Amino acid sequence: MNQADNDINQLIHDTRGPLNRISMQAELIKMVLENDMPKEKALVAVNKIIMACQDCSKSLQDITEFLQAK
Amino acid sequence: MLQVLLVDDDSEFTEVACQIIEFIGHDVCVAANLKEAKEWLAQQKFDHVLLDFMLPDGSGLHLIDFINQNDLTPYITLITGHPSVKGMLTGLCGPKVSYIVKPLQREDIEATLNKSSNKPKKAKSNMPTLHFGCLVGESAPMQALYTMIERVAKTSANVMLMGESGVGKEVVANAIHTSTGATDPIVATNCGALSKELINSELFGHEKGAFTGAVARKDGVFVRAGNGTLFLDEVTEMPLDMQPNLLRVLENKRVIPVGGTREIAVNCRVVSATNREMSELAQGNILREDIYYRLAVFPINIPPLSERKEDIPLLAEVFLQQLNSENNTDFSWSDEQLNILKNNAWPGNVRELRHAIHRAFIMSDPASKTIQLPDSFISPFASKTKASSAISAGQTIEDLEKELIRVTLNKVDGNKTQAAEMLGISTKTLYNRLHAYGDFSV
Repeated sequence: MNQADNDINQLIHDTRGPLNRISMQAELIKMVLENDMPKEKALVAVNKIIMACQDCSKSLQDITEFLQAK
Repeated sequence: MLQVLLVDDDSEFTEVACQIIEFIGHDVCVAANLKEAKEWLAQQKFDHVLLDFMLPDGSGLHLIDFINQNDLTPYITLITGHPSVKGMLTGLCGPKVSYIVKPLQREDIEATLNKSSNKPKKAKSNMPTLHFGCLVGESAPMQALYTMIERVAKTSANVMLMGESGVGKEVVANAIHTSTGATDPIVATNCGALSKELINSELFGHEKGAFTGAVARKDGVFVRAGNGTLFLDEVTEMPLDMQPNLLRVLENKRVIPVGGTREIAVNCRVVSATNREMSELAQGNILREDIYYRLAVFPINIPPLSERKEDIPLLAEVFLQQLNSENNTDFSWSDEQLNILKNNAWPGNVRELRHAIHRAFIMSDPASKTIQLPDSFISPFASKTKASSAISAGQTIEDLEKELIRVTLNKVDGNKTQAAEMLGISTKTLYNRLHAYGDFSV
């Protein structure tokens, strides 16, 4: 595996991080709604999802730039 | 409940994952790198390690090596971004290592933790069958009950559960709910525990500001049950003048929250429960007739434990195995002990049996594998119910005589002369009877 492969793998790994957070925060919201838990928890989770979407978008932009530079 | 160690350097992920794992019912500790993980593993025993593949100070595989070298026994699940890791795991780590792929879902975590929580079930091969996931018993009355549950689950009919206190009415309600396969939840409320002022709010919800203390809008149990099941426990304890409101909802399938004007359609099945007898309902002015016919479209009588004594050993086995699993112990019953349990009257039904087993479990020596039963199972409520339940059709005169002698001897602390006087027989006759019955300790 050369350096370029390593770099792209690292970029993809960086994208999976926020996706994983989005998935788990969404699961938390589902739990809140299904179990009469404090609504504030869901609100915090929604904000975190929005931030994770921004992180994800940035990572995808990094991948695009990396591929264009190759 | 499992002890779980979550090893991941993404603090936002670990924070939310902890909430989910704790909600599922397990204890969880967090390590952000290999060093912290090793410190945790040195400090305490874990049943399951959820392990990120890429950590700041090395690979998750290094931790697997550490666990193997130190003869630790947790189940390990690698959290990976790529399914190709499966190939690497094959033959590397054995059956106690699995993997899950990001992005994770709650079901992934639940399924993987179940693998380790199912581990001790090897020893549970003699575990009695749990019908509908919660009911225990193979006796004829229980088989009839299972048939009724299956039949009614296929319909949307309201069910009224009747039976003595402690027979497991809520468990049967859960069985009906499970059997319907509904995705919406079962919501339970106790009508006997609600004040007159709060019943309407609890059942139908309220709007913000509807009354003092209504600081936010709240859905009632009819709405919260969605398309699932609403379990109204002790429905006969609801004040008579509140019952017309319930009747209207049962008839129209619509609720209006307290302080609101908007009608909300509801679609849940109502399973209600009472420990009153049918004759009491009719004569005691407890439940309005129109409500009864709405609630008890399909009435089910749950048999008392005295009518299904052959199920007592099965129940005892299940309760003990549950306690063993919760407390990491390995107690078991002897045949003699199961016979003692079977021959007790249990006027408080399954609840009393469970309580007695729990108490015996606590009193037993953890170093021993045999449970220690107390000398007697007297409960403060036993005498109250005994009067009505001691005699039932199917018992022999000999059984009743034996029980009467036992109770009398208990009363006089085992003094046989006094007991004989109370029973109106000679001491010699009492001794003869005791001899015939093989004596019993008092």
